[in-house]
Amino acid sequence: MGGHSNWPEWIYIGIVIALMTWVGAEAWNVERLVEHIPADAEVIKVTGQQWFWSFEHEDGTKEIGELHVEAGKAYKFEIYSKDVNHSFNIHDYVVLMDAVPGRVNTVWFAPDKAGEHDIQCREYCGLIHYNMRGKLIVEEPSS
Amino acid sequence: MTSMVGLFLVLAVLIIIPAADYVFAAGDEPGEYVDRRVLIWNLFFRMMTVAFTVGAVVSGTMIWLVWRFRESHPKATPTPYEKEGVW
Repeated sequence: MGGHSNWPEWIYIGIVIALMTWVGAEAWNVERLVEHIPADAEVIKVTGQQWFWSFEHEDGTKEIGELHVEAGKAYKFEIYSKDVNHSFNIHDYVVLMDAVPGRVNTVWFAPDKAGEHDIQCREYCGLIHYNMRGKLIVEEPSS
Repeated sequence: MTSMVGLFLVLAVLIIIPAADYVFAAGDEPGEYVDRRVLIWNLFFRMMTVAFTVGAVVSGTMIWLVWRFRESHPKATPTPYEKEGVW
Protein backbone atom coordinates (compact mmCIF):
# COMPACT_ATOMS: atom_id res chain seq x y z
CA MET A 1 0.00 0.00 0.00
CA GLY A 2 3.01 2.30 -0.43
CA GLY A 3 2.21 5.84 -1.42
CA HIS A 4 -1.45 5.47 -0.52
CA SER A 5 -2.73 8.58 1.16
CA ASN A 6 -5.41 8.38 3.81
CA TRP A 7 -5.88 12.14 4.18
CA PRO A 8 -9.42 12.13 2.81
CA GLU A 9 -10.45 9.57 5.42
CA TRP A 10 -9.06 11.69 8.25
CA ILE A 11 -10.71 14.82 6.90
CA TYR A 12 -13.98 12.89 6.65
CA ILE A 13 -13.66 11.64 10.25
CA GLY A 14 -12.83 15.16 11.45
CA ILE A 15 -15.86 16.66 9.72
CA VAL A 16 -18.16 13.95 11.10
CA ILE A 17 -16.85 14.47 14.65
CA ALA A 18 -17.23 18.24 14.34
CA LEU A 19 -20.77 17.96 12.95
CA MET A 20 -21.86 15.50 15.63
CA THR A 21 -20.40 17.74 18.33
CA TRP A 22 -22.27 20.73 16.94
CA VAL A 23 -25.56 18.83 16.63
CA GLY A 24 -25.19 17.45 20.16
CA ALA A 25 -24.30 20.86 21.62
CA GLU A 26 -27.24 22.59 19.94
CA ALA A 27 -29.74 19.93 21.03
CA TRP A 28 -28.36 19.79 24.56
CA ASN A 29 -28.51 23.55 24.89
CA VAL A 30 -32.12 23.76 23.73
CA GLU A 31 -33.06 20.90 26.04
CA ARG A 32 -31.47 22.69 29.01
CA LEU A 33 -33.34 25.90 28.22
CA VAL A 34 -36.65 24.14 27.66
CA GLU A 35 -36.37 22.10 30.87
CA HIS A 36 -35.33 25.07 33.00
CA ILE A 37 -38.47 25.71 35.07
CA PRO A 38 -38.93 29.33 36.23
CA ALA A 39 -39.01 29.69 40.02
CA ASP A 40 -42.44 31.38 39.99
CA ALA A 41 -44.17 28.73 37.88
CA GLU A 42 -47.56 27.69 39.22
CA VAL A 43 -47.87 23.95 39.74
CA ILE A 44 -50.82 22.22 38.09
CA LYS A 45 -51.38 18.54 38.80
CA VAL A 46 -52.50 16.77 35.65
CA THR A 47 -54.03 13.32 35.97
CA GLY A 48 -54.70 11.08 33.03
CA GLN A 49 -57.11 8.19 33.26
CA GLN A 50 -59.23 6.27 30.81
CA TRP A 51 -60.35 8.41 29.09
CA PHE A 52 -60.15 11.98 30.32
CA TRP A 53 -57.82 14.54 31.83
CA SER A 54 -58.33 16.20 35.20
CA PHE A 55 -56.43 19.19 36.58
CA GLU A 56 -55.77 20.53 40.05
CA HIS A 57 -54.45 24.06 40.55
CA GLU A 58 -52.24 25.17 43.44
CA ASP A 59 -55.23 26.73 45.24
CA GLY A 60 -57.12 23.42 45.11
CA THR A 61 -59.40 24.32 42.20
CA LYS A 62 -60.17 21.24 40.15
CA GLU A 63 -61.17 21.01 36.52
CA ILE A 64 -62.08 18.11 34.28
CA GLY A 65 -61.52 18.19 30.53
CA GLU A 66 -60.81 21.92 30.58
CA LEU A 67 -57.85 23.85 31.87
CA HIS A 68 -57.98 27.60 32.51
CA VAL A 69 -54.68 29.47 32.68
CA GLU A 70 -53.57 33.07 32.27
CA ALA A 71 -51.39 34.47 29.53
CA GLY A 72 -47.98 35.72 30.63
CA LYS A 73 -47.60 33.27 33.52
CA ALA A 74 -45.52 30.12 33.73
CA TYR A 75 -47.08 26.81 34.63
CA LYS A 76 -45.41 23.61 35.68
CA PHE A 77 -47.41 20.47 35.02
CA GLU A 78 -46.96 17.49 37.33
CA ILE A 79 -48.30 14.63 35.32
CA TYR A 80 -49.80 11.51 36.88
CA SER A 81 -51.65 8.50 35.56
CA LYS A 82 -54.25 6.47 37.41
CA ASP A 83 -54.30 3.42 35.17
CA VAL A 84 -52.27 2.96 31.99
CA ASN A 85 -49.72 5.01 30.10
CA HIS A 86 -51.04 8.23 28.59
CA SER A 87 -49.26 11.20 27.09
CA PHE A 88 -50.23 14.79 27.84
CA ASN A 89 -50.02 16.95 24.76
CA ILE A 90 -50.82 20.58 24.02
CA HIS A 91 -49.87 20.61 20.39
CA ASP A 92 -49.99 24.38 19.85
CA TYR A 93 -47.47 24.97 22.64
CA VAL A 94 -45.28 21.93 21.89
CA VAL A 95 -45.98 20.43 25.30
CA LEU A 96 -45.68 16.65 25.32
CA MET A 97 -45.01 14.42 28.29
CA ASP A 98 -45.90 10.84 29.17
CA ALA A 99 -48.21 10.06 32.07
CA VAL A 100 -46.93 6.84 33.60
CA PRO A 101 -48.56 5.03 36.55
CA GLY A 102 -46.36 5.33 39.67
CA ARG A 103 -44.29 8.22 38.28
CA VAL A 104 -44.57 11.99 38.32
CA ASN A 105 -43.30 13.60 35.13
CA THR A 106 -42.96 17.34 34.80
CA VAL A 107 -43.08 19.78 31.92
CA TRP A 108 -43.64 23.54 31.88
CA PHE A 109 -44.84 26.22 29.54
CA ALA A 110 -45.71 29.90 29.51
CA PRO A 111 -48.69 30.80 27.30
CA ASP A 112 -48.23 34.22 25.71
CA LYS A 113 -51.65 34.96 24.17
CA ALA A 114 -55.27 34.44 25.11
CA GLY A 115 -57.00 31.70 23.15
CA GLU A 116 -58.22 28.13 23.05
CA HIS A 117 -56.04 25.14 22.31
CA ASP A 118 -56.54 21.41 22.11
CA ILE A 119 -55.28 18.99 24.71
CA GLN A 120 -54.92 15.43 23.51
CA CYS A 121 -53.68 12.06 24.69
CA ARG A 122 -50.76 11.00 22.48
CA GLU A 123 -50.19 7.47 23.77
CA TYR A 124 -52.62 4.78 22.74
CA CYS A 125 -54.44 4.02 25.99
CA GLY A 126 -57.43 1.92 25.05
CA LEU A 127 -60.69 1.93 23.18
CA ILE A 128 -61.58 5.60 23.53
CA HIS A 129 -58.04 6.96 23.33
CA TYR A 130 -58.97 8.90 20.20
CA ASN A 131 -61.45 10.93 22.21
CA MET A 132 -59.31 11.56 25.28
CA ARG A 133 -59.24 15.25 24.56
CA GLY A 134 -59.41 18.43 26.55
CA LYS A 135 -59.40 22.16 26.04
CA LEU A 136 -56.77 24.62 27.18
CA ILE A 137 -58.29 28.04 27.70
CA VAL A 138 -55.75 30.81 27.99
CA GLU A 139 -57.31 33.92 29.50
CA GLU A 140 -56.13 37.52 29.59
CA PRO A 141 -53.99 38.29 32.65
CA SER A 142 -56.17 39.19 35.66
CA SER A 143 -53.82 41.82 37.03
CA MET B 1 0.84 12.20 11.77
CA THR B 2 1.85 15.71 12.82
CA SER B 3 -0.35 17.18 10.13
CA MET B 4 -3.29 15.11 11.37
CA VAL B 5 -2.80 16.47 14.88
CA GLY B 6 -2.75 19.89 13.27
CA LEU B 7 -6.00 19.18 11.43
CA PHE B 8 -7.74 18.12 14.64
CA LEU B 9 -6.36 21.14 16.48
CA VAL B 10 -7.77 23.44 13.82
CA LEU B 11 -11.15 21.66 13.95
CA ALA B 12 -11.14 21.82 17.74
CA VAL B 13 -10.44 25.53 17.75
CA LEU B 14 -12.98 26.27 15.04
CA ILE B 15 -15.90 24.11 16.11
CA ILE B 16 -15.54 21.77 19.06
CA ILE B 17 -14.30 24.20 21.73
CA PRO B 18 -16.81 26.99 20.86
CA ALA B 19 -19.65 24.43 20.84
CA ALA B 20 -18.69 23.07 24.27
CA ASP B 21 -18.24 26.59 25.62
CA TYR B 22 -21.65 27.60 24.27
CA VAL B 23 -23.31 24.66 26.01
CA PHE B 24 -21.62 25.13 29.37
CA ALA B 25 -22.38 28.84 29.38
CA ALA B 26 -26.08 28.41 28.64
CA GLY B 27 -28.97 28.00 31.02
CA ASP B 28 -27.26 29.02 34.25
CA GLU B 29 -29.49 32.00 34.89
CA PRO B 30 -32.60 31.03 36.85
CA GLY B 31 -35.94 30.45 35.23
CA GLU B 32 -36.26 32.54 32.10
CA TYR B 33 -39.62 32.46 30.37
CA VAL B 34 -38.75 30.84 27.07
CA ASP B 35 -41.07 30.12 24.19
CA ARG B 36 -40.64 26.41 23.71
CA ARG B 37 -42.39 26.55 20.34
CA VAL B 38 -39.69 28.84 18.98
CA LEU B 39 -36.78 26.94 20.56
CA ILE B 40 -37.97 23.49 19.57
CA TRP B 41 -39.06 24.33 16.02
CA ASN B 42 -35.90 26.35 15.38
CA LEU B 43 -33.80 23.42 16.55
CA PHE B 44 -35.80 21.17 14.27
CA PHE B 45 -35.24 23.42 11.24
CA ARG B 46 -31.51 23.78 11.97
CA MET B 47 -31.15 20.00 12.32
CA MET B 48 -33.10 19.43 9.11
CA THR B 49 -30.85 21.90 7.28
CA VAL B 50 -27.79 19.98 8.47
CA ALA B 51 -29.39 16.62 7.66
CA PHE B 52 -30.36 17.59 4.12
CA THR B 53 -27.01 19.27 3.44
CA VAL B 54 -25.05 16.24 4.66
CA GLY B 55 -27.43 13.96 2.78
CA ALA B 56 -26.91 15.91 -0.44
CA VAL B 57 -23.12 15.94 -0.09
CA VAL B 58 -22.87 12.23 0.77
CA SER B 59 -25.26 11.04 -1.92
CA GLY B 60 -23.71 13.44 -4.45
CA THR B 61 -20.25 12.07 -3.66
CA MET B 62 -21.47 8.49 -4.04
CA ILE B 63 -23.19 9.21 -7.34
CA TRP B 64 -20.05 10.96 -8.65
CA LEU B 65 -17.82 8.08 -7.48
CA VAL B 66 -19.95 5.49 -9.23
CA TRP B 67 -20.12 7.61 -12.40
CA ARG B 68 -16.42 8.52 -12.50
CA PHE B 69 -14.90 5.15 -11.60
CA ARG B 70 -17.05 2.92 -13.75
CA GLU B 71 -15.11 0.65 -16.07
CA SER B 72 -16.57 2.29 -19.17
CA HIS B 73 -15.49 5.81 -18.21
CA PRO B 74 -13.22 7.28 -20.95
CA LYS B 75 -10.50 8.10 -18.44
CA ALA B 76 -10.74 4.81 -16.52
CA THR B 77 -7.34 3.34 -15.67
CA PRO B 78 -6.59 0.32 -13.55
CA THR B 79 -5.34 1.06 -10.07
CA PRO B 80 -1.71 0.15 -9.36
CA TYR B 81 -2.91 -2.92 -7.46
CA GLU B 82 -5.06 -4.08 -10.34
CA LYS B 83 -2.28 -3.46 -12.85
CA GLU B 84 0.23 -5.53 -10.89
CA GLY B 85 -2.34 -8.09 -9.82
CA VAL B 86 -0.96 -7.85 -6.29
CA TRP B 87 -3.01 -6.78 -3.30
